[in-house]
Amino acid sequence: MDCNPLSLTLCGVPLQNPVIAASGTFGFGHEYAEIMDVSRLGGISGKGLTLYGSSGNAGMRVYETPSGMLNSIGLENPGVQHFVETEAPYMRSLGPAVIANLGGHCEEDYLEGARLLNEADIDILELNISCPNVRAGGMAFGMLPEPAADITRRVKAVSRHPLMVKLSPNAPDLVAVARACESAGADALSLVNTFLGMAIDVKQKRAVFENVYAGLSGPAILPIALRMVHQVAHAVRIPIVGLGGIASAEDALKFLMAGARAVQVGTMTFAKPGAMLDIVDGLSDYCAEEKLQNLQEIVGMI
Amino acid sequence: MIVSGAPIGRAGQFFMLRVPGALDPLLGRPVSICETNAETGETAFVYQTVGRGTEQFSRLLPGQEIDAQGPYGNGFSLESGRAVILGGGIGTAPMLQLARELRGDDPAREIDVYLGFREEAYLAREFERYADRVAVNIGGFVTGDADFSLDATYYACGPAPMLRAAAAAADAANAKLYVSLEKHMACGVGACLGCTCQTSGGRKRVCKDGPVFDYREVHDGL
Repeated sequence: MDCNPLSLTLCGVPLQNPVIAASGTFGFGHEYAEIMDVSRLGGISGKGLTLYGSSGNAGMRVYETPSGMLNSIGLENPGVQHFVETEAPYMRSLGPAVIANLGGHCEEDYLEGARLLNEADIDILELNISCPNVRAGGMAFGMLPEPAADITRRVKAVSRHPLMVKLSPNAPDLVAVARACESAGADALSLVNTFLGMAIDVKQKRAVFENVYAGLSGPAILPIALRMVHQVAHAVRIPIVGLGGIASAEDALKFLMAGARAVQVGTMTFAKPGAMLDIVDGLSDYCAEEKLQNLQEIVGMI
Repeated sequence: MIVSGAPIGRAGQFFMLRVPGALDPLLGRPVSICETNAETGETAFVYQTVGRGTEQFSRLLPGQEIDAQGPYGNGFSLESGRAVILGGGIGTAPMLQLARELRGDDPAREIDVYLGFREEAYLAREFERYADRVAVNIGGFVTGDADFSLDATYYACGPAPMLRAAAAAADAANAKLYVSLEKHMACGVGACLGCTCQTSGGRKRVCKDGPVFDYREVHDGL
């Protein structure tokens, strides 16, 4: 019998706990491995990849807002081939489940990236159709049910990995997008990516970001993300990974109760590198206090 | 701000300082080491109250706890021989530890310090403990005061226009110059890619690959 009350299976992949480092906030694990015990995480979702890599956006890239931040990194990444050869084996050596996050500018980019990732030793492919910071594509695929279903179906057809689709809260009808991805064969959904926001430098009378709009994350978005996870959890049968402003074990429990089997933590790691380890400890304590055999018992109780 | 209990870092390195438990402001603030004392285990930080994070620092009471993550980044490398230090505004703070380390490294070397401030000078007296000469300029350009044709290593930290002027002077005199860059950062450890800059060797992270660079490497991005 499994005596770890935090263990779960996600898309057939065993995780030691439901706490996953969110894509774009943890690199490929190198930097945080220097300062914390990353082996205790449930999983790591690597930095969002594009087929040929990218140097990202010019100008201001991060900007703090009340209880959160805006970012406009623009998927700066070393490309899929480099990931397959160098980063995936490194991530595997760390211990937690390995998730590759794949973005794209057009359909062919996604498909070629997914084909190359078949060579990588990863556990889950997270399809990023929700990055608000790249001009062509990215979030465009995640706005409406049909394009979302289409790219999901095509990537699923070429990939040998379980497919988790990362959804954008900026979709006019997120539940419809979630249902479409499920029917198209997604094995899981992760939500939500960042909210499209904006900042203005009043002194200089101009937008802070070169792209004008940027992605909002952090505790400020938690109540909206939680509502969206709850809505989607009631609309689909595939597993959901919830994220959006999680800063504590109590926050993680909220997402589990709302219907997420696992959570991702991102922005809080920037503020406090050990935040995810505190969350893992807090979830253990909760299981002991509530006398749960497994934390999954509370998933979707609300 | 004097912080005790944090690991002792080197000149040019920084800490992410944050009031523990705070969700607003959320992120740590990168603050350079101003002076360390290995005996007492104390690190001095000098910050300017410019926003909500530093405002929160200014309300801390003596003895109150602060979260100090670090030291992060690469410090200044101590080159042998004469040293010329240029600091502008709050960019003077990390240069004090640099002067201290240069002096400790070679008690005989000559150290010239040029400090520039918009309105009011600070730290100038502290520099006198380590430097042979300390020149203060209020309201002008500190790079105009220094002679870049000396057989010396130049170190600069300050606002972007000052670093551009230093780079132009170093170009003209073919001087060896190191600059410490400042950028908005979220994580401070090289994960978020919020502070990357264009260098001759591709994009680099100011927090992890810097913040100190050979100026030629970051010349076009200054």
